[in-house]
Amino acid sequence: MEQTGHDRPQPSRRAFLQRTGAWCAALFLANLASGPLPFFRRPAQAAEGAAASPSTIKAVLRRYFGDRKIAAKGVRLKVPIIAENGAVVPVKVVSDLPMQDDLYVKKIYIFVDHNTNPYIASAALSPANGRAALQLKIKMKQTSNVRAVAEMSDGSLYGDVQPVKVTIGGCGG
Amino acid sequence: MPRKFGEIQIRAPRRYGKGEIIQIKARIIHPMETGFRKDKTTQQVIPAHYINEVKVFYGDDLLTTFDWTYAVSRDPLLTFYLRADRTAPLKIVWRDNKGKGGEKIIPIAPQ
Repeated sequence: MEQTGHDRPQPSRRAFLQRTGAWCAALFLANLASGPLPFFRRPAQAAEGAAASPSTIKAVLRRYFGDRKIAAKGVRLKVPIIAENGAVVPVKVVSDLPMQDDLYVKKIYIFVDHNTNPYIASAALSPANGRAALQLKIKMKQTSNVRAVAEMSDGSLYGDVQPVKVTIGGCGG
Repeated sequence: MPRKFGEIQIRAPRRYGKGEIIQIKARIIHPMETGFRKDKTTQQVIPAHYINEVKVFYGDDLLTTFDWTYAVSRDPLLTFYLRADRTAPLKIVWRDNKGKGGEKIIPIAPQ
């Protein structure tokens, strides 16, 4: 009994080494033959997505605002640096832009660059609001930039961009 | 705190002067389903169900219109400011993508 117990590990170790060696060789060859393995392909794809997104968000912004320039002042976006739960990301937009009858903030938009639909929400304001501000909890799929854009009644645009790190995405299940 | 679908909770300051700018907070109890989630037991996709429009009226005037997508979190909390220059009812009306809706009215009475 002791002997068999002593005997057994040796063939199994040999078999283990053989199998491991075969697998390593197979992986290496597969890697050479067909580019990176599916397992290793994910980061590359993510990087592609990140590279592709600025043009998408640009297209979205162009659809909403045309070729008008968005000035990086007047509006401040307050977001957490790291959002632990992507399903609830508190976003606060504050601004010192005028809210008079002749010149006021007509609309505040919120965009998230990497969401499936970058347009999140908007609020159409009126001078009776007295103050242009917005507070909302939004869902974020992944780490991304959050943008706030304020459109004035005369058509000028003001905006702010802040990055938010998301540890758990909030769109799927 | 009761959490019934479509319920609106509104919080306004207790005392404020005429012409003062006050902050109003409101919460609408709503699942805000994205349409991407799957039921864990049945593996069926849960259909999208979210509020796409909230309108706020001060008296007869349209004060603010919120245009939302499914990317707003569940039980959305909305915050806005209001120049309380007259005594008038404040009405919040919401509507979702399934055609459901609701409203709540609170009085605004500056002192």
